[in-house]
Amino acid sequence: MRITIKIALLVNIFMLPACEDLFDYSPYAIDFSDENRNVNQRSIEKLQSRENDDTITIALTGDTHRFFDETELFVSKVNKNHSIDFVVHVGDIADFGLPKQYLWGNSFLLKLEFPYFVVIGNHDLVGNGLKAYQEMFGLLNYSFNYDGIKFVFVNTNSREFKFKGDVPDIFWIDKQLQPGVDFTKAVVIFHVPPTDGDFDPSLEEAFHNSLSHYNNVLFAVHGHSHHHEVYKPYADSISYVNVFGVEHRKFNLIKISNNQFKVETVEF
Amino acid sequence: MIFVTGVEAFSQLAQKSDSAKYKVFLPDYVKLQFAGGIGFVSIGVGYTFFKQKLEVSYFYGYVPEFVSTDDLHSVSLQLTAKLLRFKVSKTVELMPLNFGCFIHHSFGSEFWITLPDHYPEEYYWWSPGRNAGVFLGGEIRTKLLSTATPASGTAFYVRVGSRGLYLASKFGNSSIPFSDIIEFGFGVAIYR
Repeated sequence: MRITIKIALLVNIFMLPACEDLFDYSPYAIDFSDENRNVNQRSIEKLQSRENDDTITIALTGDTHRFFDETELFVSKVNKNHSIDFVVHVGDIADFGLPKQYLWGNSFLLKLEFPYFVVIGNHDLVGNGLKAYQEMFGLLNYSFNYDGIKFVFVNTNSREFKFKGDVPDIFWIDKQLQPGVDFTKAVVIFHVPPTDGDFDPSLEEAFHNSLSHYNNVLFAVHGHSHHHEVYKPYADSISYVNVFGVEHRKFNLIKISNNQFKVETVEF
Repeated sequence: MIFVTGVEAFSQLAQKSDSAKYKVFLPDYVKLQFAGGIGFVSIGVGYTFFKQKLEVSYFYGYVPEFVSTDDLHSVSLQLTAKLLRFKVSKTVELMPLNFGCFIHHSFGSEFWITLPDHYPEEYYWWSPGRNAGVFLGGEIRTKLLSTATPASGTAFYVRVGSRGLYLASKFGNSSIPFSDIIEFGFGVAIYR
């Protein structure tokens, strides 16, 4: 009997490394490998070493939720276009905010041949999704300059923060858009648009004002509503690009040159 | 005076409960489990019903910081049906087909069960704080510990399961491998 148990224990010990991926401790355990950490900052570094021409080409998707197969198709389609500088995901990469869904979503994005940036969406914040986002992507508000344009990523998921009045962070946005030597124009990217019920209504006007204050925002980009349109929510002001949800099997391509931009739709 | 009577009543009660009666409430087993989605380690107690064909267990599970950014606490309620039972020898029994389901409750304000007030009705259809799952398992029951301790025997078990949130994520996605939604675990049970 003793020998049987000893053998059983030995077999178990040898099986342990092989089964490591199958062991699950909790749907909320966050234990990310290096490639699944600090993604946005590493993409910024990768982008700085890219050779740029006179046109910035950005592929945009978002609201990938549980559309993993579609996300995989998006990645293989985008990889065929060698003129792309970087890829933007407009949020909701994890439908239930689960660390595992973050890993699934990122497993496809990791196959992109370009630097990519993910802005936080409301679904990404459910459960301990905030922690998972911070571990995987980094800061909720971040920005970088590329080819004379400043790209500003903002957390606009006011409802997830109980409409406390500090999401979105208007002061931070204003600071980012203050004219500087490194950029002439800016692009602001967020998940929930200011006209949506999930955006803090007490901050809508301040948000709009902060974007138009320095007259340097070329356009704004958002997701959340899954469909695509280019529109001006406030009269005589900035164009908003609403990005296709990945399930439509269409993505948007934005080309910026000479402070002008053009939006295209690509099917996959 | 009232106090003294109270103490007397209590001591009488305590004496009574020393009899076999209170044993009815003693758990039929304790379990120690590794992984299986309900904790890095979980400790459980439970009761058997219908000639040990059905078990109802209550687990407390802990995930320490060395396997997760934050440590996690949770409890789960499990129902296990032991569908097949073979006597291998005088002392060893094999239960190769156990089927179970569980409800897992994670502690923490971010793991809410009812949708918090700042959301409109039915804004999210699931609750992060409470989810359910199913599992299949097998068990070997031995007489280990039965001679030296009051225990009647010791069982070793394995379980392979998944939960609703993982199954919903896998649904319609051939790009997600099945192994990714599996919660594998094993444990030991000591029976009274």
